Amino acid sequence: MSVLKRIDELSGNPKVRRSWFTLACAFFLIIIVIPSIFVVTKILTEWDLVNNILSDASTMDIIMGAVWNSFSIAFIVTVIDILVGLPMAWIMVRREFRGKNVLDTLMDLPLAFPTAVLGLSVVVFWAVPPEGITVPGLGLGITPYMLVVLLHIIFTYPYMVRSLSAILEQIEPNYETAAMTLGASRWTAVRTITLPLFRAGLATGFILCFARSLSETGGTNIALLLMGAITDDGGTFFTGPTFIAWMKTAFGGATSPEAMGAMILISVIMIVFALILLVVVRKVMMGFRIPIKKVWPDIGRKVSRGLLPKAKDVLAMAFLLFVVLIPSFYIFAFLTQPTGDIDFGGLLSATGTSFLVAGVAVAVDIVFGMPVAIYIARNKGNRLADVLDELVNVPLIIPTTALGFSLALFWGSFGFSDSVALMLVVLGHISFTYPLVVRNLVGAIEEVDPSYEEIAITLGAKPFQAFRKILFPIIKSSVLAGGILAFTRSLGETGATVAISDSVNTIPIYITNLVKAGMAGEYTMFAEAAMCSIVLIAICFVLMMVIRAMSQGGDRDA
Amino acid sequence: MGKIKLDRISMRFGDFYAVRDISLEINNGEYVTILGPSGCGKTTLIKVISGIWTPTEGKVYVDGVDVTDVPMEDRDVGYVFQNIALFPHLNLRDNVSYSPRVKDLGDQVMEERSTEYLELVNMLARAGMFPSELSGGEQQKVAIARALASGSKMLMLDEPLSALDARVRMELRYELRRIVKRLGITVLHVTHDQEEAMSVSDRIVLMRYGAIAETGSPLEIYRHPKSVFAANFIGETNLLECTVSDKSKMGKTKVRLRGGPEIRVSRTNFNIGDPVVISVRPEHVYPATDGLRAEVTDVVFMGTYWRVRTIAETRDHVEYNVSTSDEIPEVGDMVHLVFNKKATVVFARPEGGIEEEIRLE
Repeated sequence: MSVLKRIDELSGNPKVRRSWFTLACAFFLIIIVIPSIFVVTKILTEWDLVNNILSDASTMDIIMGAVWNSFSIAFIVTVIDILVGLPMAWIMVRREFRGKNVLDTLMDLPLAFPTAVLGLSVVVFWAVPPEGITVPGLGLGITPYMLVVLLHIIFTYPYMVRSLSAILEQIEPNYETAAMTLGASRWTAVRTITLPLFRAGLATGFILCFARSLSETGGTNIALLLMGAITDDGGTFFTGPTFIAWMKTAFGGATSPEAMGAMILISVIMIVFALILLVVVRKVMMGFRIPIKKVWPDIGRKVSRGLLPKAKDVLAMAFLLFVVLIPSFYIFAFLTQPTGDIDFGGLLSATGTSFLVAGVAVAVDIVFGMPVAIYIARNKGNRLADVLDELVNVPLIIPTTALGFSLALFWGSFGFSDSVALMLVVLGHISFTYPLVVRNLVGAIEEVDPSYEEIAITLGAKPFQAFRKILFPIIKSSVLAGGILAFTRSLGETGATVAISDSVNTIPIYITNLVKAGMAGEYTMFAEAAMCSIVLIAICFVLMMVIRAMSQGGDRDA
Repeated sequence: MGKIKLDRISMRFGDFYAVRDISLEINNGEYVTILGPSGCGKTTLIKVISGIWTPTEGKVYVDGVDVTDVPMEDRDVGYVFQNIALFPHLNLRDNVSYSPRVKDLGDQVMEERSTEYLELVNMLARAGMFPSELSGGEQQKVAIARALASGSKMLMLDEPLSALDARVRMELRYELRRIVKRLGITVLHVTHDQEEAMSVSDRIVLMRYGAIAETGSPLEIYRHPKSVFAANFIGETNLLECTVSDKSKMGKTKVRLRGGPEIRVSRTNFNIGDPVVISVRPEHVYPATDGLRAEVTDVVFMGTYWRVRTIAETRDHVEYNVSTSDEIPEVGDMVHLVFNKKATVVFARPEGGIEEEIRLE
């Protein structure tokens, strides 16, 4: 208590407050932003290495192919997400039905699955799995490209539905009703009134899904390994992040100048394209006008009534079920198979490492993100706040593998290397989870009327007291929500971890290694990978439930 | 065009009836307000008429045609929302021409109608502006123009003025009546503000607990309310519990107030000994040299008159008005009060007591 009191007292001093804010900003810039994009400077300092790659036609083909795959897959996935996410958002926001809560929880579940697990599950469900996997699936002869699309839809879909729902909640339902009393069919009303008001939500959803798909390494890597598209000594199909991960392991990473040049080049390309995209999407989405001048009353009427709207809802639900949920849960089919002995020691140690990394990252995010979030939320329109607001998105849009690689180069140039690998991994995970936490905090704080804190201060509370007794209890559930999101994201991350260090064995990497062993002929390792995945899912699920129960209990107290 | 008939309408949500077994006829061109405390089912009624909701039981007829199952986009009933709901991404002209647009009536009709109705509400000069650039009252005028531009002969107003400032509310009230009367439109205007209902409507429908409590012209309901609830809800009144003490063959009635004093009231059909409640409005209570004794507890300046609040010897609270030119009593003074017997309305005493009867929710 006395520590809190001392902080309360100190917080009365404007100088102390300013230095704490400055520290948080410095942390954000030096620990998060600069290391994330440090690799860009390497293109100058290591120009010779990069130049060698540029003149190597066969490697360039692979690199450009990987970049094309990444961006085109991300684009297709996002467009599909929008198409199926819109009707789903309507169902979630504008309808009341029994089982809505269950649906709500089901929708978030794929977020709790580490993507490496999803990769395994999706291949077994859709495609022809490699020899040694005994669980029967659909066995469709689909290409690696299509499979990656199907995989990426699973973990981007919840983001899209969530962002669209959040905006739809804000849009006055009376607009649609008003349009309909004026003679518009529902289809016309939605097209001319609701959708044009949706732009901000579409932009956010687009960026989130696109970035997530662009970044994903672990699941894609496992899927491509299982499809035989990537092997230890070569590959027929890469995405940007899987190419970096492959370079890192196949060529021994930074030690080989050839790998170094290729990794720098592809990282820079991915980062620059991603940042350009962030700006372009904003501009395009904000400038985009859905044509509303012309209406077709008869067509509008036909598609608004009868079977079509029902068919649309049924299709949306069917998509959720057959493309998102069943392929994710298909991993549980392994429960029907006999399993060999599971190496619980290895699993436990990897789980421990993962939880340590995720826990520390989220705690740091919250502590150092809070002052920045408060500043952004409370100073809308102020130049510094707007710049910070934009910068926060940067680590979100950069592919995590490129980010991890960049970070390793940055700290490596200070002489930090594998001796403090775990710490570097934590720093990497802080970078890409920070935006998730801060975004949530900013959103929540904007909703809180600042006069609550002002009143507390006029009643004699010190600023820090006003924060911890007034603001924090109000936004607690958002802090938790952001925290859970960041935690599960960190738990499932493969790319950044691989790119930073070979020696830190987190759980997705542990599973990837089991799958690799399976591909090498130790077939029992597939079943073990699946069992480890199931254990991991169970842990995540219990964790989410516990936190959810805790937050609800907390709400009742407040 | 615009004659509405409701036949035994009920709207149920789960076990809760928002409105129950309501029958009502509204004439062509009539301005009807639906008045009642919040939660009494007023808005439900106009949502059923405009097709936003389909009633669980009963039928809606327009000009004798059953429209119960006609979807709202084909109902052709204008609707104005309490929260205005102008489309924020369209300018005023596009808002007003929205209905001709979605009915695909062509550019010329859109142009003509939007000009006509923006002109009607005096907003034509700002046709290119966006809703966020207007004040609340101006926005609501445009919303009314938008509803009228559909060409509908029926207009539902869902508490259209309650989100506005007091002064704007007063002005818009009269403008609203002027516009719809000029166009000869049938209007159902939902409000919880009895003063608003009194000043705009041809007829008031007073609702309570999802049912119609009473209907009548503003004057009828004010002068001759049929229930204690109506007497109390519309206008201000003093309610006193008493017992019929004397009655002549002609119906001339006397009642005894609590604690003794006997007063004369209007003619009634009650019998001697019946428990009753009398309602007398403050403007019909006068100070005199003799009569009900009361102690002044409060004197409030109301602009054109003073409101004097007293507690009578019968333990009833009685309020009356004093003209500003007259002598004003002071708090603590004892006064004698008499009632205008013709303006005194007598009701059977409600079984649950007066408090229960006048409760708003």
